[in-house]
Amino acid sequence: MSDSDTPPLGQRPKLGPIDGKPVTTHPDLSRLSPAQRGLRDALLREFKARKAKKFVEKQVHYINGNRQVAESIKILFDEHGQPPANAPIEDIIEERRQLEYQVRWFEAMLLELQTRLLRVREIEALALDVLERSERE
Amino acid sequence: MAAPLFLLAPPRSYTSLMNAMLGQHPQCFGLPELCLFNVERLVDLWVRSTDEMGSEAKTRHGLLRAVAEIYGGEQTMDSVRMANHWCAARQNLSTGQIYRELVDKIDPLIAVEKSPAYTVDIQRLLRIRETFPDARYLHLTRHPVGQCKSVMSLYDGTFALFVNSIDFLEDRAIVEPQFAWYDLNINILNFLDTIPAERQMRIRGEDVMNDPPKFLGMICRWLGIRDDADALDEMMHPERSPFACFGPLDALFGNDPNFLSGPTFRPHKVKVPSLDKPVPWREDGQSLKPEVVELAREFGY
Repeated sequence: MSDSDTPPLGQRPKLGPIDGKPVTTHPDLSRLSPAQRGLRDALLREFKARKAKKFVEKQVHYINGNRQVAESIKILFDEHGQPPANAPIEDIIEERRQLEYQVRWFEAMLLELQTRLLRVREIEALALDVLERSERE
Repeated sequence: MAAPLFLLAPPRSYTSLMNAMLGQHPQCFGLPELCLFNVERLVDLWVRSTDEMGSEAKTRHGLLRAVAEIYGGEQTMDSVRMANHWCAARQNLSTGQIYRELVDKIDPLIAVEKSPAYTVDIQRLLRIRETFPDARYLHLTRHPVGQCKSVMSLYDGTFALFVNSIDFLEDRAIVEPQFAWYDLNINILNFLDTIPAERQMRIRGEDVMNDPPKFLGMICRWLGIRDDADALDEMMHPERSPFACFGPLDALFGNDPNFLSGPTFRPHKVKVPSLDKPVPWREDGQSLKPEVVELAREFGY
């Protein structure tokens, strides 16, 4: 490239077919043909659908309590529903640790929610007080 | 006020690790991703600009954690609540004013920050220059193949899609992260053209990973701060940063989740891939674009 072809400082051209700011701040789609805009929309829709599907799958996994309980105590039973004669101690310890961790996590969540509830109740009571007083006046 | 240091790089370019390492230097303070210069006024961080893609709540986590840590000395749900109030009281100030207030508070330590989102738009970078005319910039590069593979492995390449890094084939559009690698680095280069040479440095992330003491020492000397063994040893422990872990429930992030779950630096040799082979994220056997190869060569790959 000769010197005359070199872009001036701070003005090197970009490569991507879509100019402008990211999608959250309105990209410039003017360089795209109508077909390309359609393809872009389809790509975004497909991406969002895949994301939503993964999210739902994950949530179902979390909320399916019975299955989770069954999974977590599986190691305690064999295929006949009897305790296995030789359950590896490592598995049992690992299971116990995981359950303890989950219990601690739920306790922390519960505590936080109770604290928030308490505060919301206080605010609610205060607001009702104010309302009652203003009605009386 | 000590001039801050900004790490400029597209995401997935070792920025989290480097930020935490530099931030552990006894004369520095490593911040989480504040994303402040993404917007003009603080309140805009709480305003959703469009419904086209994604959630923006996570962009506030870094700021909330930083305020909680700097003003409250801890990161708990209570101190994050305080940080929310701190922000609410300043909601109409410019993000530059907010940033200066934080940097003033940690003075004389040098603020070190990287928010890869700054590199998405040169206006964001210009806001940094306007706020801190004497700031210093470290341009951190990563090989395009390594960086793009890493982008594609995180949430199905959300970031590439977010910045419209899309290639058009005959019958479909595909996510093509090399456009983002190129365009974001071009944004950085265009911006750095406006900055005096002595206030900028370019370094390959792979080199730092392969020999941290040598390159961290080099950065220290450029910044004019200590480069003795104790300082370098401290920098080898990014996991000691108060931001190198998940935050409280209402401000969990503020950084790359992969870094937050494993912030320790493990010495390893980074292999530099070829620039000519087909790229692994495309099914049609295409290689890197000639412009990408040329820029990568300019960066020393």
